[in-house]
Amino acid sequence: MDKSTIVCRCEEINIDEIETAIKNGAETFDDIKRLTRCGMGPCQSKTCFYPVNEIIAEYTGMPLNEVSLPRLRMPLKMVRMSTLAQDSEGSNVVSVFGESVEDGES
Amino acid sequence: METDILVIGGGPAGMSAAITADRAGARVILVDESFSLGGQLRQQTQHFAPLPGSEEKVRGTALGNDLIKKLEASKVKILKKHIMIGSYRNENIGVTDGEKTFAIQSQKNIIAPGAAEKAKIFPGWTIPGVMTAGAAQILINRERVLPGKNAVMLGSNDYSLEVARQLKACGVTIKAIVEDKEQMISSDMELLHDMKNVPVYLNSTIESATGKEELNKVVVKTPAGLYEMEADLICIANGFDPIIEPFEIMGCNLAYHKELGGWLPEYNVYFQTSNPSCYIAGNAAGITTIGPVLLTGEIAAIGALEELGFMEQEEAEAQRKELWKELAEIEKRENEKTFRARSELIEGFHQKIGMAFPEEFNMVNGGAHNG
Ligand SMILES: Cc1cc2nc3c(=O)[nH]c(=O)nc-3n(C[C@H](O)[C@H](O)[C@H](O)COP(=O)(O)OP(=O)(O)OC[C@H]3O[C@@H](n4cnc5c(N)ncnc54)[C@H](O)[C@@H]3O)c2cc1C
Ligand code: FES
Repeated sequence: MDKSTIVCRCEEINIDEIETAIKNGAETFDDIKRLTRCGMGPCQSKTCFYPVNEIIAEYTGMPLNEVSLPRLRMPLKMVRMSTLAQDSEGSNVVSVFGESVEDGES
Repeated sequence: METDILVIGGGPAGMSAAITADRAGARVILVDESFSLGGQLRQQTQHFAPLPGSEEKVRGTALGNDLIKKLEASKVKILKKHIMIGSYRNENIGVTDGEKTFAIQSQKNIIAPGAAEKAKIFPGWTIPGVMTAGAAQILINRERVLPGKNAVMLGSNDYSLEVARQLKACGVTIKAIVEDKEQMISSDMELLHDMKNVPVYLNSTIESATGKEELNKVVVKTPAGLYEMEADLICIANGFDPIIEPFEIMGCNLAYHKELGGWLPEYNVYFQTSNPSCYIAGNAAGITTIGPVLLTGEIAAIGALEELGFMEQEEAEAQRKELWKELAEIEKRENEKTFRARSELIEGFHQKIGMAFPEEFNMVNGGAHNG
């Protein structure tokens, strides 16, 4: 396929950029994300996750079930900052981010 | 906010779970991000059979409306336009209505967010006029908007042919069905018959999709060479994958099962995930057909009800046995591979956590997990 074909439509990242990232040592979706912004758009990789993993699998020869999943972070869906910051029923931005189960992990 | 059972997702699976839980006397809250219940049934105008307890064909939209009516007549607290966006350290689920964010404290959660359509990339897949088959179906059946006049279907599964048939009924010309495998995926005789005049390109891919402001030219790469055609619509039907994000947030373990759609949470015969407070139902528990989608909702609800003491063990076992029997019957008939993969997933998870199989499961599964 033409290497200029877009894979991540939100961030306009093409096959060539993803393969370059792999050449530079990327092994997982998250590695590629850090190098290219692929997966960081409004859909939060819901669209590009499988196509990217297929490219990794094809390029590295790793079976699809061994290509690791992208790391998920809250909030799960797009939401306005003001909505998170709104202090209602004892809950605010601190509770969604700070109290989250991911707290303390990098 | 506080409740016994919190259901995430108001599609057929979530609604079926909520109705079952309410009937047994539990306090139930059902959350759905949409302004209307029904999930993906809202645009499914085709007829479905078999359904649990019936061989009669029922229109998808009618089935959805029937469940909504039952739900609205129940004591279930329905929160539409509410999205689950996260969880707190104490495992309360964080929900937003777009204005504020709050926690729902529940004893058990039944999570049924459904499935998403898998993307398929080719040069030009991001230009206007290229969409998933599901998007085209929503446009014609829900929004009453014609997405194009000349369509190319990418993929030849049942869903692709069903949408092609519905587009045809709206006056859209189906220019071609493009399939990269060496034969059609669908084996549904009725659908195949309806498509008999449509050119099918096997072992083929879309080489390019082009157009100035919107799609107008599609080039298909076939073993016999390139074919160029005029089209203003490409529908991508590349199958579905279970939605996993809410489960990841809840710390549920995931596994990869190709036949079930890809990555999905592990669960046991009660449809309980590795997080004991979270049950799973519907297409999130493996891509299947509408009968099993409804049944998984009921089985999950019964597990939660039993654990919370709303249902006696004996009663729960008896009901579960019937439901599993029906699930196995329908799923084996409609898609044997799906049932086998589901059994494998359950078997693997039971082994991993050292959990014995209840009698009722051994009987329906015909001891397949022993082999
Ligand atoms: C576009 C599309 C078209 C489909 N067409 C067909 C078809 O024609 N035939 C067929 O057999 N199958 C079809 N399917 C598969 C479909 O998933 C099943 O038919 C069936 O609807 C599954 O039921 P469910 O209850 O598991 O999920 P769904 O019906 O998808 O319901 C899930 C519900 O959960 C809600 N939800 C999800 N995440 C959250 C969250 N974080 N917070 C709050 N609410 C949430 C959604 O709004 C939705 O209402 C289609 C799927 C899609 C995506
Ligand atoms: S397509 Fe990659 S983030 Fe949306």
